[in-house]
Amino acid sequence: MTPGLSMPNTAPAARQPAHAAWQAAGFALLAALAVLPWFSGPFALHLAIQVCLNVLIVGGLALIDRAGQLSFGHSAPVAVGAYASVLLGQWLGLDSLSALLAALALAAVLALALGWVILRLRGVYFVLVTFAFAELVRLLLLDFAGVTGGASGIAGIAPMAVAGFAFDTRERFYALALAVALLSVLLLARVYDRPLGRAMAAVAANPALAESVGLSVLRVQLVAYVLGSTMAALGGVLTVRYIGFVSPESFATAASVAFITMLVIGGRGSLFGPLAGAIVLTPLPELFRGAVQTQHLFYGAALIVILRFLPGGIASVPARLRNLRGRA
Amino acid sequence: MDWGFVIGQATANGLVIGLLYLLMAVGFTLVFGVMRMVNFAHGEFYMLGAFAAWVCTTRLQLPFLAAVVLAAAAALVLGALIEWLVLKPFRKDELNGMITTIGLALILQNGALMLFGPDPHAMPGIAEGATTLMGIAVPNARLAVVGFAAVVLAALYVYLRHTRGGRALRAVVEDGETAALQGIRARVVYPLGFGIGVALAAVAGALMAPLFSVSPFIGAAPLLKAFMVVILGGLGSVPGAAVAALALGLLESYSSIFLSTSTADMLLFVLVIVGMLAFPRGLIGRGEA
Repeated sequence: MTPGLSMPNTAPAARQPAHAAWQAAGFALLAALAVLPWFSGPFALHLAIQVCLNVLIVGGLALIDRAGQLSFGHSAPVAVGAYASVLLGQWLGLDSLSALLAALALAAVLALALGWVILRLRGVYFVLVTFAFAELVRLLLLDFAGVTGGASGIAGIAPMAVAGFAFDTRERFYALALAVALLSVLLLARVYDRPLGRAMAAVAANPALAESVGLSVLRVQLVAYVLGSTMAALGGVLTVRYIGFVSPESFATAASVAFITMLVIGGRGSLFGPLAGAIVLTPLPELFRGAVQTQHLFYGAALIVILRFLPGGIASVPARLRNLRGRA
Repeated sequence: MDWGFVIGQATANGLVIGLLYLLMAVGFTLVFGVMRMVNFAHGEFYMLGAFAAWVCTTRLQLPFLAAVVLAAAAALVLGALIEWLVLKPFRKDELNGMITTIGLALILQNGALMLFGPDPHAMPGIAEGATTLMGIAVPNARLAVVGFAAVVLAALYVYLRHTRGGRALRAVVEDGETAALQGIRARVVYPLGFGIGVALAAVAGALMAPLFSVSPFIGAAPLLKAFMVVILGGLGSVPGAAVAALALGLLESYSSIFLSTSTADMLLFVLVIVGMLAFPRGLIGRGEA
């Protein structure tokens, strides 16, 4: 392995028993956390659903970031998925599941076309172009009011239904969201563990070197971009099916900032980063109820402090603790 | 409709807007050139400059000129302090530095929100009436702003071109390592560069405050314009930013004759995205990709 080529998720072959015990405890805690909302009233359920959807969307962002490109327009694929599923459903008279699939297909094709062009840019240039594209999408949604409802959005969206079973209560929808969030983490784990995931890490660490050993940087990043954008689109579809309403306001820059914040605070480059970021940051607004300023102030300060003192995010804390103990 | 008059009026308006974009974009591109940092908090310094001018003129009853100077000085000091205390570990670290400035923008905007509240404040105009030249009317308030902006830009030009500090800054923009080898001290130049960059944004904000209202949310639009200018002009290129800013101002002004504002905005975004892809080093200037 080349120096500078980091593989954050390759666990050592022989795990220490203490490590395994801690890991089991962690998973048990997560499982308990996942079950708890069903017994804690509608508000906890609502929060838990949002956490799950954020895990999915930020997971998509993490996948793109894994291949070395940071998108500052991750609200765009979410918006595409959300609007496409509603509008395609209306125009073609599709049921919610077919509309979901159609929206995902559209988002994937769009990401493929866009990614093929913009992934040639690197670093901050990619960041800026995704930022500009997301703004463009929001303006389009606002401007074509005849189709999208403009600033007032579209209301009265039917809930998700599969084979006659409607996810129309919070309890039912949470089951769906939890399953999807779990699947998204499993997907990331699977991708990261395969040659494709290694290729992504290699491309991110050193594009020139990756090219020289025969990896196509553009192709690897394109796979990550399409997959990540489609995950975001699925998040968008599920969000509107849950809320029953969609408007361009939900896809302003603030949304993209929130996704990046969750990714960075959760941990860039680590499998559980999106999970940690979504779990910690999604309920935060509720703690600062009525004072959005305070919440954003906290977001900003947390971003800076984490970047400075814990660049691996919350997800890197266990490994750090292990290292500390190992040294002692 | 008299086309000659319409075009002439649009040109005058476009140049006024372009000059203000220039003030924003030059600071932005200077910061990128010096520390390779895309400063997402740039718009918030515009907002702080506007608030500083508002506080100075309405609360402290200072003349407008003093308000602009005070706003610039305050931003310079604040910017240098922030660079030194917060951004220092992220010099030349493009992505993490950029994310840090996003955090900074959140803090500044919401700090202003807590301090001043969300409601927009009006500021008294600085001049009344309008001047008519060759049939083209420009409000005196705008003329005064243009005058201020031109003086500031001229001063910046002289500073960058003909003083020791300015030369040091330009040397760091050209090649940081070689500059360090020549004995240019990074610990002075970096805070200074960031401070000057955000002070220019604050000047733009202070100058615009009497024309528009002042609120914690006014930073987003000029930041977006600065992005566009800088992308078209080439990141880090000051002459590129100058040409691109004036071109963008004129383009906006002309297109508003024929198109609705939102359509014109979208076309500009398309132009920026296409321009960026076709000319990654900037359409006009020589940026450093």
